[in-house]
Amino acid sequence: MSEPSKEQPKIAILGAGLLGRLLAFSLRNDAFIELFDQDSGQAEDSSAILAAAMLAPLAESADASKGIMQLGELALNTWPRLLQQLPEKIFFQRKGSLLLAFEQDRGSLLNFERNLKGDNYRKVGAQQIHALESEINPRFAQGLFLPDEGQLDNRQLLTVLGKVLRAQTNIRWHSNSFAQIAEQRVLLNGEEYGCFDWIIDCRGLGAKDTQTDLRGVRGEVIRLHAPDVTLNRPVRLMHPRYPIYIAPKPDHLFVVGATQIETEDRRQPTLRSAMELLSACFSVHSGFAEAEILQIQSGLRPAYLDNEPQMRVKGRVISLNGLFRHGYLLSPVMVDLCRSYLLGETIDARYQQAIPQLMKIESTGEAIKELA
Amino acid sequence: MSCLDIYGTKLDSRMLIGSALYSSPRVMLESIVASGAQVVTLSLSRQNPGQMGGESFWNIIRSLDLHLLPNTAGCHSIKEAVSMAQMSRELFQTDWIKLELVGDDFNLQPDPIDLVKATEILLNDGFKVLPYCTDDLVIARHLVELGCKVIMPWGSPIGTGKGLLNPYALQAIRDRFPEVTMIIDSGIGVPSHAMQAMELGVDGILLNTAVAHAQHPQKMAQAFRGAIEAGRLAYEAGPMAEQYAASASTPTLDSPFWHQA
Repeated sequence: MSEPSKEQPKIAILGAGLLGRLLAFSLRNDAFIELFDQDSGQAEDSSAILAAAMLAPLAESADASKGIMQLGELALNTWPRLLQQLPEKIFFQRKGSLLLAFEQDRGSLLNFERNLKGDNYRKVGAQQIHALESEINPRFAQGLFLPDEGQLDNRQLLTVLGKVLRAQTNIRWHSNSFAQIAEQRVLLNGEEYGCFDWIIDCRGLGAKDTQTDLRGVRGEVIRLHAPDVTLNRPVRLMHPRYPIYIAPKPDHLFVVGATQIETEDRRQPTLRSAMELLSACFSVHSGFAEAEILQIQSGLRPAYLDNEPQMRVKGRVISLNGLFRHGYLLSPVMVDLCRSYLLGETIDARYQQAIPQLMKIESTGEAIKELA
Repeated sequence: MSCLDIYGTKLDSRMLIGSALYSSPRVMLESIVASGAQVVTLSLSRQNPGQMGGESFWNIIRSLDLHLLPNTAGCHSIKEAVSMAQMSRELFQTDWIKLELVGDDFNLQPDPIDLVKATEILLNDGFKVLPYCTDDLVIARHLVELGCKVIMPWGSPIGTGKGLLNPYALQAIRDRFPEVTMIIDSGIGVPSHAMQAMELGVDGILLNTAVAHAQHPQKMAQAFRGAIEAGRLAYEAGPMAEQYAASASTPTLDSPFWHQA
């Protein structure tokens, strides 16, 4: 690692999931960074590795505020620019998403529609559903098509970000490290470590030691390889408790999820959840019958009381957390907010117009410009 | 207005509210507060309660400082329900249990036979059982004879919002067991359903989905609060009897005959 120059701040980023990586990437030309990663570098225990990485601000708005939808729309437009900066192509598409309901779940569909905070969708019947997704079960006669929604391949993204960051001479990556924050200092494996201008906490639920209002919300996800199935876009199936999605990735890979249970239970997925998710798949497309189950996993989404994210500033410690089920949907916004704040740049006013509590300053640190 | 009596605990509010399906815990808290309910039901199933999986969420509910009514939702057998009830008693330090035993997965209809058996086991174990039952008079009688001071027949199946599918059956239960606290549990969709039930003379309403799935849950909670209070007041006030023929509330002597029926 090259020596820090006086002009560039020294920044510690705790957590190398999606937020940690994206933030390090966005600051790669502006700072000397030490990235503290609890994993081996493969993000194996992060929420980011489990996610389906759907970028669906409107669909999510059925159970989230208008502000979350607006931030998601901003982020959705940011992703292509962001991905272009990477040296390898990452799967990204914007072919919309399709929401389906069986006849007996008509009420759930109606409720979902009533709770949407935007109107960029259209109702579709059997013919239109067939035109969009020719292979799926012809019994579906009702649904909603949300044409602007997108998705990306999260695992490709995490891998490529990892490679890029490791190649940077101004970034030091500490794998398999246990980092904490105590009184504006970094503790590495229990010992005080280094001296930083800024400490950014992107540990997700790992930050629960300092943030008592964080909680974990369990999600269970299945990855399938189904050569007999082609879907052009994510399909969501109405379910009385939560919509189940089937998100296609390249090469007939599918991510099926996700349960949403108010527990911090870290066990492997339960039989009941697996049955719910897998029977949903089979009901959408019989080709899933011979799919190979690659992984069944569970994880905990970090959430605050309102299930909305927040950037919290306390002296020189900045925390980005509470992205709940919206990690990929909102991380570009949270990263940009943090970057602008710590570099002393103008913060995009739309962020706090959408969610006034998006940034909470408990006590200010010195902005970098002032330091210099 | 008189109080709701749950095994000797007197409550001013006649609404009991669930803690599931809200878009966030904050919306849940605000809705519960708006409802004025003094009893909150909570489900332990799927939370791995043995390992305290739901502790963070339970603490949010505990912060309201209301009566907690754990339920056995999702249990399909007597053994599961009894063990869930015992775990709930330990976790929440309450002997109240809303006993739910699924008999049919499609409409979540309670299994009436196992419900009676499980109720007996739990009453003998010192629980104050609030059984979720159908509107069957004979099942209600069995539950009352076992010693239930509260019974909770459905209006219609859970989450359907169809209101009172069989007001006649509910009225029969009410009339036959006037001394028992009767709470309509499940199927209530809109405040007018709750009001109709209260006008029948039931003692309280337990609901969840109708509030949690409203576009503005906090406002809907308030609407239910008003409806339940109004329905109870109407019952206590004693409604007028329906008449076949119209009877003018103002004299019609000064109207010409062709204006009269």
